[in-house]
Amino acid sequence: MVEFKNITYNYSSKSGIYDVDLSIKDDEFCFLVGPTGSGKSTLLKLLYFDLFPDKGDVRVLKYLSSKIKKKDIHRVRKKIGVIFQDYKLLKQRTVYENIALPLHINGIGRKKISNLVNEALELTELSRYSKKFPNELSGGEQQRVCIARAIVKNPDIILADEPTGNLDPTTGHKILRILEQINKEGTCVIMATHNYKLIAEKPYRVIELDQGRVVSE
Amino acid sequence: MIDKIAFLFAEGFKNFLRNKLTNFLCIITILINFTILGTFFVVGFNTDSLVDFFRSKYTFEIFLNEEVDLKQSNAIVADLEANSAISSVMLIDKEKSADIFLKEFGENVVDMLGYNPLPISLKISLQKDNFDLKKIESLIDEIEGYNFVDSVEYRGAYIDSIESKINLFIFFFLVLVIGIIFISIQMISNTVKLSMSNRSDFIEILQYNGASNMFIKIPFFIESILQSAIGAFIAFLLVNYSFIVINSYFNLNIQVDDVLWAWMIGLSLIVGIYASNRAMKRILL
Repeated sequence: MVEFKNITYNYSSKSGIYDVDLSIKDDEFCFLVGPTGSGKSTLLKLLYFDLFPDKGDVRVLKYLSSKIKKKDIHRVRKKIGVIFQDYKLLKQRTVYENIALPLHINGIGRKKISNLVNEALELTELSRYSKKFPNELSGGEQQRVCIARAIVKNPDIILADEPTGNLDPTTGHKILRILEQINKEGTCVIMATHNYKLIAEKPYRVIELDQGRVVSE
Repeated sequence: MIDKIAFLFAEGFKNFLRNKLTNFLCIITILINFTILGTFFVVGFNTDSLVDFFRSKYTFEIFLNEEVDLKQSNAIVADLEANSAISSVMLIDKEKSADIFLKEFGENVVDMLGYNPLPISLKISLQKDNFDLKKIESLIDEIEGYNFVDSVEYRGAYIDSIESKINLFIFFFLVLVIGIIFISIQMISNTVKLSMSNRSDFIEILQYNGASNMFIKIPFFIESILQSAIGAFIAFLLVNYSFIVINSYFNLNIQVDDVLWAWMIGLSLIVGIYASNRAMKRILL
């Protein structure tokens, strides 16, 4: 499903990732760990084709970074749910409208949208906030809206970039439980974090990065 | 698909209402440009009638030889009337010429001289459509060569001067219209760019959620259509009302084209959509 073949990506500041070879299965839950600047976010950006490798090839579902055209990137992104540390919610839209956005993009009918959004709201325990605006919510609630928006379209892959980075430990555990539940339903989840405590007792694969290289798996 | 289209249209309308300041600026830009353009349209429309008026006054006069009698003159009139460049031929016989002389000089030429020395003449009016000065000059040369013609009186230099001034005016008019359209495109394009960079976060979120460029563009197009239609319609009302006031104040008869509103709104939509597309192409890549 996801494959990095000898990937190198250089930022102009002489940081980046180097010679990464990885393969992640369809229903896997895996953590990308490492200190700030180790290359976790870069790996995720390569997966949703926000960045393209200088060397090597990234395969996501049936799409290859070396072959995909810019105008086709939206096709891959329709199948990927991305959770950002800074949430990236539309401030002028309600919680409901934010969650419904990917479904409108995918051309789903209004009635079905209503059902799917309500399911996502229930899963993330946000039903009572559906008419609120993001700035009326706490950080943890906003992160749950971001998760609901990522899962509502039933994606093949969830990419979570430090989803608990700005949250207290209790809320962080809550977010992780939601992601585990989504994974149990068959979605591949790749979560970048530098919070070792949070993942300490979890039975999932941990890929450790340091200075842009995979140091342990 | 219908739900998607409905969503995009609703987004366009909602964005139009949400982004009041940028939309207001864009409407003002269109309003200013199209008020100037609409004024030029009206001037251009009335230039046509002015040109027609001048051309209807273009005449020349043929003075026939003494030997030509009335019967021959009528035959010449029939011949000339068959020419496509000529709209009408008026025969001025000796008696009419004497009347004109009396009106202009206050003297009866027959009483003065005991006979009428004035020749039969023909006053030729030219066709104002498909007007071609060169053809008319060659027609006059041809007529001057006929043996029954004594002389031809034609104010060629005067007509030539009016024609060249009209052509110069039309040239400057077209340059100004093209210039205003170009300025409108630049200004609308910059306003759309400004509006898009204000909403770069929104565009980025749409892109991360799998929106295609077309999906992002359509609501902006709808916004542009609304801005263009509103701006051009207000500009039309302004131009139309201004000319009503000018006509009544200066007692003029400046005509406003019945379909001016359609021209202005149509052109504004084309300019608006083209300018938005250009701005979005540069931002969305």
